[in-house]
Amino acid sequence: MHPPDTQAHCFAEDSPGFGNGSLIDENSGKGTVALETITLTINDKVINCPSGISILQAARREGIKIPTLCDHPALESVGACRLCLVEDKGGRLMASCVTPASEGQVLKTDSPRVLAHRKNIVRLLLAEHPESCLVCNKGNRCDLRAIAASLGIGETNLYPMPHARTMEQANPFLVRDLTKCVLCGKCIRADHELVVVGAIDYNRRGFLSRPETVHERPLEESTCAFCGTCVSICPTGALSVKNAHFVGTPEKEKSSVCGFCGVGCSLVLGSAAGRIVEVNPADEPSTVNGPTLCLRGHFAHDYLHSENRLTTPRVRKNGELEDISWNDAVSRVAERLLEIREKHGPQSIGFLGSSKCTNEENYLFQKMARAVFRTNNLDTSGMAPARAVLEEIKGLKRGRRSTAPLKDLEKTDLLFVMGVDPSHSSPVLAYHLKRASRKGIPLVVVDPREIELARFATCRLQVRPATDALLLNGIAALLREGVNGRRYGDGTTSLRGFAEHEKQLASLDLNEVCRLSGVGEEALERTAKLLRGKRPIFVVGRGVFHQKACRDTMKALSNLSLLTGDTGSGRSWLYAPTYENNEAGAWDMGVSPDTLPGGKPLGAKAFRSHWERAWDVMLSPDPGLNVIRMIREAEKGNLKALYVMGENPVRALPQPEYVTRALENLEFLVVQDILDNETSRVADVILPGAAFSEKMGSFTNMEGRIQRFEAAVPPPGQSKPDLEIINLLLKEMGQASLGGSVDKLRKEIAKLIPEYGDLPSSAGEAWVREAESEGTDPQEEPLFFPIPELKSPEHDDAFPFTVILRSFRAHLGSGTRTSRSERVEEKGWRGEVEMSARDCESLGIRDGDRIRVVSPHGAVEREVKIETGLSSGLVVVPRAFGDNDAMNLFPFKERKESNFTGWITCPARVERRAR
Amino acid sequence: MKAREVDRGRLNAIIQESRGEKWGLIPLLQKVQEEFGYVPPVAIEPIAEAFNLFPSQVQGVITFYAGFSLEPKGKYVVRVCRGTACHVRGSRSILRLMRKELGLEEGQTSEDYQFTLETVACLGACFLAPTMMVNQTYFGKLSPAKVTSVLDQYRKA
Ligand code: SF4
Ligand code: SF4
Ligand code: SF4
Ligand code: FES
Ligand code: FES
Repeated sequence: MHPPDTQAHCFAEDSPGFGNGSLIDENSGKGTVALETITLTINDKVINCPSGISILQAARREGIKIPTLCDHPALESVGACRLCLVEDKGGRLMASCVTPASEGQVLKTDSPRVLAHRKNIVRLLLAEHPESCLVCNKGNRCDLRAIAASLGIGETNLYPMPHARTMEQANPFLVRDLTKCVLCGKCIRADHELVVVGAIDYNRRGFLSRPETVHERPLEESTCAFCGTCVSICPTGALSVKNAHFVGTPEKEKSSVCGFCGVGCSLVLGSAAGRIVEVNPADEPSTVNGPTLCLRGHFAHDYLHSENRLTTPRVRKNGELEDISWNDAVSRVAERLLEIREKHGPQSIGFLGSSKCTNEENYLFQKMARAVFRTNNLDTSGMAPARAVLEEIKGLKRGRRSTAPLKDLEKTDLLFVMGVDPSHSSPVLAYHLKRASRKGIPLVVVDPREIELARFATCRLQVRPATDALLLNGIAALLREGVNGRRYGDGTTSLRGFAEHEKQLASLDLNEVCRLSGVGEEALERTAKLLRGKRPIFVVGRGVFHQKACRDTMKALSNLSLLTGDTGSGRSWLYAPTYENNEAGAWDMGVSPDTLPGGKPLGAKAFRSHWERAWDVMLSPDPGLNVIRMIREAEKGNLKALYVMGENPVRALPQPEYVTRALENLEFLVVQDILDNETSRVADVILPGAAFSEKMGSFTNMEGRIQRFEAAVPPPGQSKPDLEIINLLLKEMGQASLGGSVDKLRKEIAKLIPEYGDLPSSAGEAWVREAESEGTDPQEEPLFFPIPELKSPEHDDAFPFTVILRSFRAHLGSGTRTSRSERVEEKGWRGEVEMSARDCESLGIRDGDRIRVVSPHGAVEREVKIETGLSSGLVVVPRAFGDNDAMNLFPFKERKESNFTGWITCPARVERRAR
Repeated sequence: MKAREVDRGRLNAIIQESRGEKWGLIPLLQKVQEEFGYVPPVAIEPIAEAFNLFPSQVQGVITFYAGFSLEPKGKYVVRVCRGTACHVRGSRSILRLMRKELGLEEGQTSEDYQFTLETVACLGACFLAPTMMVNQTYFGKLSPAKVTSVLDQYRKA
């Protein structure tokens, strides 16, 4: 049994968490409200603008340029650099970024006085600046240099007073050369207001003042998350990206979309000589990320030029992989697959599409599987199949899925976050949640670990693993008791199952709930009080979806949401982040054994006929094998061939040795991928595909935003965009008409999947549209689910600890790509296993010792790190490290099977290795 | 003698008294400095936590004000004025004498944590120039003899 020291923290209700809420307007970052239209004159031009905006904003609206160093539309204005001076009729000079535009002003932005002052300011800045422009990493992107040039300043004729400071570049991500800092404070505001980390702030005063970490330590010893947001926003060479090799300045820039997590940040890829040499946020207000990015997006894309890229088609001959021509590779694949289907039937071939490939590619991939091979053996193999998650959501009968921008999270009245550590898995989601908390939106965080987000929580509930559902029911019971006699609205009480649910709640033993969940009664009460009268949005991640008892937890969540009066269907109450860049899209495109494109059930005749007509084929109504069953059938010898596009099942799934054995047992394995990996090593044919930066396509992010992009560089060597490869295959099989160009497929998708109607239009934002027919079926009305009985979590004395998997910000998924990033590797994070001080003491384990974590299914060996906030009884194992060996701990099982442990926690024991 | 070990219990008690108080940061820092003679760096994180601030923000405030120090100081902090008025009246020799007497350079603290020597730009008592302060006490119209006698007074204390 776990010693009862699991804590529950709950701050006073009026404590908004970190920082005290500088208001950030969702669009501009400035806390302004348009009241009325005013008229003023700038440079003899009469202009109208809403009141409440600054002179600088008013000028920008009219295309009047004013130079700035410290202003950024997404940040609070502070008026630090004084470059944005303007002069009014009375000869007063003012900083336009912090002076409100007002009625009747007559202003000049370039009067002789303004210019003289502006020049002086720049001269003074330059006098303090080292003369190293020619070798500066910031190069042509330096604003200071550009402004000096535009003002015609060469020599300053001032006594130079450069700063004596050492350059910081021990970390592989960014270089801090604060001798070049102009104290604009943008990095600090970005760090505080946008990413809400607070690693740096002004330190000291006057000439000595600089942005610094606490205790003036190097960044890697601070709370810095290496998101690089400060680097992109810094107007000088004070902060720049570190490159291990000389890469040159970008010759070309192309907008794109991050290929890692489900946030889908908008990027600008800078390239030189066919290589991506720089990644920056697109920094447009309409994007999901604005001026921010995370460590992966900013720095880990160097994997694109890893020497492990697959660049030639290869075929296995006498056990060895050999290079072959595209023609031979394609005809070999077509021939073998058709042969196997002839001989063993359509059930003998499986297709793994990709949560990393584009919508167009996934669509054509599943179309090939269904229309040419007549099989529904289709799935992806990420550890977070959107399919499974959506199934759970569908079971709640509260709509299928709706779309909402992450920004909306900053507008709701309460956020309830459960089973997700977004600071690591999807950092930009974390930024939005932290900003919401700083705005004063109450935040409840439920997680067994002390995650970063918990520090911003109004209430944090450190729940024991596998007790989430009963904790939620406990909160519901307290909510039921009401505050000031307020009870539910009609919408709630008239729902199916309400009365029974009430009765069950009334008899719930709250002491037992507290004892089992490890959360104190007071914390429960405060949470219930906080919830009353609010319409929370529940942000729920794989900490819940990958639980064994996921279904109970989801039902409890839905019940709780109905009790708060949110009785609508549609997913507005629930936000389930996707973990990989195109997890949502792959599912929407039909890469799923039992749903058709658009998510329609394969079993329903009407939906099948829609596609049969469109593709002019007959579709099998029998659901295909999901990834787990495909592997198992391969091991048994029933599945003969598997075509894997852009997935690495050996590394991503539990029991890698078993998976490898199963794949080796296949008669024919095709792997189409960009990196040499655990799966491609056992392939019979390797088809080298292209990364997102090397092709055209679209991804669908966790918001339901469909993001199109084009190639920034050509694919390396002989590799080809994945769509082209599928087209080649189709042609080889005499089915060229099924495929076509990206544009042609976009039109086809838009026509056949109404939710994707926006896909082909070239302008503006595209969103997954809400399905039309939803909410009319009485079977789909929301209802209260019965509460399962209170049960102590299972316990096995031989395995007294509970392993929890966690994500780490440098890695995505199983780490196939991110572990090929030179920068990430150089940083040398070791992925230590975390344990509580108490457990370490009782096992005689010291910080840094090597330990073995053994589950009934396998083991991992790692160094241990003592984690102060961790409850005893828990052992936290990070994913993606050590070839993602954490998956050894889990059985190769799917939800329906007995002994399924879930994919997030499992029982284990801990052994100390010799020192 | 050594710099006093930071009494964590005392520190936490002081912080808890001010937890969440509006505009409480600077008064709290003053209390901490009064208690320990400086703001121990280990105080930064708990203070930040108590006020829902980032530790870097708290450090920023401490290092902004000359009145706060992150380094332990002597029991007696001697501040010799080097402002214009005092300079004209010979503060340079006063400082030189002080250095010799204490065996300290500006900014240094004696090994026994009895004395810290500092200079300031103006103590605002120019009519008494040359001036100095020892902790909160002003001394004006200094002469070498007066300096020695003042120091002796503190050395005995
Ligand atoms: S480091 Fe760059 S962004 Fe930060 S204050 Fe200095 S110049 Fe501005
Ligand atoms: S890299 Fe990100 S977390 Fe680190 S200081 Fe810059 S903005 Fe803050
Ligand atoms: S990994 Fe996710 S959060 Fe990070 S830059 Fe890419 S899309 Fe954005
Ligand atoms: S841009 Fe206005 S003061 Fe810097
Ligand atoms: S100059 Fe010394 S007190 Fe003013």
